[in-house]
Amino acid sequence: MALLTPVDEKPGRPRFLLPRRLKGWVLPLALLLVWEVLSRRSHAYALAFVPLEQIAASLLEVLRSGELFNNLLASLGTASSGLLIGGTLGLSLGSLMGLSRLADRLVGPVFHTVRQVPLLGWIPLIGLWFGNGSLAKTLVVCLASFYPMVLNTYEGLRNVEKNHLEVAQVLAASRWQTYRHILIPSALPFIFTGIFHALAFSWISTIGSELLFTAGPGLGSLMQTAQMAARMDIVIVCVASIGVTGLLMNVSFTRFSRRLLRWRPTR
Amino acid sequence: MNAIALPRKFPAAPAALIALAPPLAMVSLWLLATGTQWVPEQLLVPPGKVIEAAAELLESGELQEHLRKSLGRLGLGFFAGAGLGLVFGVLMGLYQSVEDYCAPFFNGFRQVPSIAFIPMLILIFGIEETFKIVIVAKAAFFPVALASYDSIKGLPRQYFEVAKVYRCPLWPLVKHIVIPATVPHLLTGLRLSLSRSWMVLVAAELMAADSGIGQMMEWGRQMFRMDIVVVGVIVTGSIGFALDRGFKSLESRLVRWKAR
Amino acid sequence: MSNLIHPDFNRSAKSASGELGIQALSKQYPLEGKSLKVLDNINLDILPGEFVSIVGPSGCGKSTILRLVVGLDADYQGRIVLDGKPITSTSTDRGIVFQDHRLFPWMTVEDNIGFALINTTLQPAEKHDIVARNIARVNLTGFEKAYPHQLSGGMAQRAAIARALVNEPKILLLDEPLGALDALTRLYLQAELQRIWIEHRSTMIMVTHDVEEALFLGDRVVVMQSNPGRVKRVVDVPLEHPRDRASPVFHRLKDEILADLIGGGAEGHAAQAEAYRRPRAEAGAGR
Repeated sequence: MALLTPVDEKPGRPRFLLPRRLKGWVLPLALLLVWEVLSRRSHAYALAFVPLEQIAASLLEVLRSGELFNNLLASLGTASSGLLIGGTLGLSLGSLMGLSRLADRLVGPVFHTVRQVPLLGWIPLIGLWFGNGSLAKTLVVCLASFYPMVLNTYEGLRNVEKNHLEVAQVLAASRWQTYRHILIPSALPFIFTGIFHALAFSWISTIGSELLFTAGPGLGSLMQTAQMAARMDIVIVCVASIGVTGLLMNVSFTRFSRRLLRWRPTR
Repeated sequence: MNAIALPRKFPAAPAALIALAPPLAMVSLWLLATGTQWVPEQLLVPPGKVIEAAAELLESGELQEHLRKSLGRLGLGFFAGAGLGLVFGVLMGLYQSVEDYCAPFFNGFRQVPSIAFIPMLILIFGIEETFKIVIVAKAAFFPVALASYDSIKGLPRQYFEVAKVYRCPLWPLVKHIVIPATVPHLLTGLRLSLSRSWMVLVAAELMAADSGIGQMMEWGRQMFRMDIVVVGVIVTGSIGFALDRGFKSLESRLVRWKAR
Repeated sequence: MSNLIHPDFNRSAKSASGELGIQALSKQYPLEGKSLKVLDNINLDILPGEFVSIVGPSGCGKSTILRLVVGLDADYQGRIVLDGKPITSTSTDRGIVFQDHRLFPWMTVEDNIGFALINTTLQPAEKHDIVARNIARVNLTGFEKAYPHQLSGGMAQRAAIARALVNEPKILLLDEPLGALDALTRLYLQAELQRIWIEHRSTMIMVTHDVEEALFLGDRVVVMQSNPGRVKRVVDVPLEHPRDRASPVFHRLKDEILADLIGGGAEGHAAQAEAYRRPRAEAGAGR
């Protein structure tokens, strides 16, 4: 609910009532209208602000030719392999550091130092060592998913409640039993947050690496090619696809984790 | 979460020294690897060469020029984007109708990573200054808008009720209640948005620019001058780090009342 | 300090085990260079099947005693002996119910209770039966598949009690088990605890700050004082179970113990009443 009521909300004044769900469409539709107007303004404008029908036509064309699908698949492939490898490595390192004080002391400082180097900084080096192709891209995605997984896994394992550990002690549970029944379930929400972030980063870094490493298929490369050929319509189709795919991944993972973590207290 | 715990054997060792140890170790490793030719020069540029290149760039004034350009764009874009984001976020948080109209589009737009907009913006604005400033603004806009929205929404009703009981007028309400309550979360959002914008800017410059740190790196790469590239990487990282740390100290200074 | 035997005691005692001996128990914490004495020479003999309540002001170490008995802490001086054998660390011989139920949020009620059986060599079917029986014992039948966040405070605590009972421990320790609950739930659970004890007849030691609760449930009430934690005295409760809160003996004992705890005793009360009754004129002239 709003904290402040709009100043002009006087009773008796006729209000333009739209159901809430429809209100959300007003802005996008208005923007589309502005876009359409701009595209008609001049020929030069039409190059940048491509008319909507042309965008629609290009969308169909690119779908039919399979170009969109193939590139999307390639991007998804890069993203998922990078996420899988980087995520698993991150989970392992995070668990190691979280469970073993020794490992934490030894590896921790090194990890945190390396983490300071921004991903963007690694790209030239990776490009030099591994070329321009899918290996380089996958590596970038690995790195991008690695860090959040380590951090969140570590946090989850370190934040196990002492109270719960005492119960395990009182019930004479073995070390392995404590890990399995208490440490891991307790850390799971954190780990899932880590996966959530890793997922988002993997998609972003996939697109980024495709834009920076020009070889090989992918939505980013398609977009880059389209931009060089001044095909704004295809660029827009790509942008939309990137957004929609990201959203779908986001939503499905959230739903999945909500189901798995249904024991969590709902506030 | 502090992974660096002071070993009990050296109680007098200051934390700063211990924190510096790993980076120093890594630099030494770097020196060793290149010095002994264990890693050939083509693959890993020795620190010596990097320092030479940095000195060269500093002398010719190129480095300063590129930095000036990049930071200038960052500043302009960040102010524009963060400012707009702040206004938007606050409006969406305060007025339900604004939220109703803007939120769906806002959320949809957010899904697309900033770098994905680069080709589109290049087509619209060309590769001049405007494009870079716009991309920075886009990158800065969303985290700040989100943070300000969240902080407004997070304001407990109770505060407003107390103000109402004491019949507090609008401006003092904002000044003494809304702002202090929202500032911490907002500052964090600003800090994150600044780091992100910096990275996006350098990425954009890597792809299409005629000046700037990113462009310097790209040019170095094309000329196979990896030493220049590494200089660029180090500068980029250091500035990102400095911005982040600087903001953090600003945060802690402004938010002294918050229990930490 | 007499070892009172409850009137019905010997007849209904299920087993002769659960005899706890605490001898010269002391514990201190290092605090800023000095050592803070938490417990000073505690001596208690608890008979099998007895229900002993421990009351005392905050900081008297009553919870510490329980932690030492259950084995969560091994740093103390003195001896703790269960059925003739000194205790070493935790064991399913000794169960404990904490003030916060400490149920694992990610397990259902029956999984939580079943977890206590994790190191037993029973078949899954047997385990299931035992769990079901204990759920029934605390009147939680029907909530087997519920998650802790779906339970009320009282229900969660009952589940915690069931989890502590499922191993049929020789001694059940209860550390302010009803402290986090509202007054009505507390009364209900006190009756439940009494019923469970009457049926189960294992030794139980309960720490509480509620004197009435201590008297309602305990055969003996150990009154402690703080700084350092010592046993002030042990009050025998010669009433039969189930207890009647309205009985005059009950009230007398309650007043005695409260006087002990609040300090100043009966004399303090009388002096205060005297001061109030002083003629107004005297007080007025003083202004």
